[in-house]
Amino acid sequence: MAGVQVGKRIIGADAPVTVGWENIGRVEGGPVKQFVFTYFQPAMLFAAILFWYYAPNWLAVASTAIAIRLGWTILLLVLEWVNPRYQSWQLTWKEFATDAFYVGLGMTFLGMVDSYIGDGAIIKAAQGAFDWDKFSWFTGLPLLVQAVLISMIFDFGQYWMHRAMHNWHPLWLTHAPHHYITQLNINKGAVGNPVELFLIGLGIGGLFDFLPRAFLLAGAIGMTVSVYQHINVRFNTPRWWRFIFNTVEHHSVHHSQDYEATRSNYSGTWIIWDRIFGTCVDGEAELLGMEGGRRMDIGETMVFPFREGWRSAKAAIGKRIGGSNPPQLEPAE
Amino acid sequence: MPDLKFPLIDHIWRVRGAVPLDPALSSDEAFTRLDPLLRTPGTTCLVEGEALTYAKHNPAAQDKLATFTRGRLWIERAGAGAVLRFDLFSHALLLSFLAPLLFLGFAQLAVAVNSWEAADADASETADKKDKSQPVKKLNPVDEFLGAPAPDDPSKKKDEKKEDEGRHSPEEGYFMAGVFALIYLVGRWLEPWLIRRRFREALSAPASASGIGGTG
Repeated sequence: MAGVQVGKRIIGADAPVTVGWENIGRVEGGPVKQFVFTYFQPAMLFAAILFWYYAPNWLAVASTAIAIRLGWTILLLVLEWVNPRYQSWQLTWKEFATDAFYVGLGMTFLGMVDSYIGDGAIIKAAQGAFDWDKFSWFTGLPLLVQAVLISMIFDFGQYWMHRAMHNWHPLWLTHAPHHYITQLNINKGAVGNPVELFLIGLGIGGLFDFLPRAFLLAGAIGMTVSVYQHINVRFNTPRWWRFIFNTVEHHSVHHSQDYEATRSNYSGTWIIWDRIFGTCVDGEAELLGMEGGRRMDIGETMVFPFREGWRSAKAAIGKRIGGSNPPQLEPAE
Repeated sequence: MPDLKFPLIDHIWRVRGAVPLDPALSSDEAFTRLDPLLRTPGTTCLVEGEALTYAKHNPAAQDKLATFTRGRLWIERAGAGAVLRFDLFSHALLLSFLAPLLFLGFAQLAVAVNSWEAADADASETADKKDKSQPVKKLNPVDEFLGAPAPDDPSKKKDEKKEDEGRHSPEEGYFMAGVFALIYLVGRWLEPWLIRRRFREALSAPASASGIGGTG
């Protein structure tokens, strides 16, 4: 496969990747369908911002966000059904049940563990150690500015954590199972080893003092932007949107079977970070996964980082001692 | 397959049924027509006379038989008619049947940790009572102009707070248990229906026409 040169890299040499906006697919259908799937994403973003901006205080609470999230997920599942991006990503009962398991694990057990060792606990410790009052002027900023700052600071941290995961073997071992998904659906963001889900959830946005409403607004931006990165829906995403925000087009390139393509589009919400740091590839891909598209089951996903970590450590020690001949491992991603 | 018998209970994870078969077809022809369904990565297949057994190891997401990881298909002829009978085993159905128990377990864990922490907190409660009145935060003039509701007074809110709520909520666990009960019921009805339809379609069309592809 020839591939396409993007900057100094050749994208699509190992597996097919469509590079460039002019080459990607379009919504097929009548004018109503075209209209809906062109303006759905921005309309929902503005609706969410308006709601969280004006909702009275008794309504602007986390439990409302959870209820909205549930209804929102169901709506997006319907969109996947009505206007799939690729037939080969069609949600099946088994895929849905598998994804639901990871979502449930994150909501229950991992949430509990996270409350002791996650960023909440770290932030508390950090807030005790410094005089964070110096940042209290943040709460005097306009709400939307605060919300965008929260979202961008959090995503900046996530960008570098994600990029580190693709560049340092021990971190890669935790992230690799997420790259064994072979199709994108809205709940696929939850699929992965718990260690990775914990690491990627570490945020630095919470260090600063913002108004509670600003956090809810930031959450709304995340929910109506980054949620689309794993969705099997064909949109005619507006140009300004795909310039600023991460999209399923970008994220499908990141998940493609092509090695160079996976080393791009690391951000969760603001693709602008990728543009600034030189890792953005505009395009889309259908063939996803690792090892030619081998699906990783739940059991292997849970043990993979530990099993491969043990093997790598054993090989490294064996090499240093030079005694026995350890079995050859595949090179680190 | 081990020959253990679980009458009735095994309906949870086993699906049995039959689809009509053109009696003119030989067993070889019939199994050839089913071949596209079975010739997928990670599948091993064994034909013995009128019966076929298969086993799948971690099938692909789009594998048409992904839900049923083991199975036996055989042809029964009675008089002028014939049927293809099947007896399929599903890890996925069994696991999603058991999943509510796991999530109820997580909910109970949340309750247990809460009560354990509450007991711990009671012992040391008298020590720290720092109820400094926090300053009321004000909105930016831009937001005041646009009419966003002002933040609550943080010192007022304290009194209304319920005391008995712990750190963890069991509700998510109960919710997911319910979700998986629903997923199981839908799957137990949907997957046998789909499999019957796929077998019927495969058997009615010559193998060459049905093709293996289907990605688009």
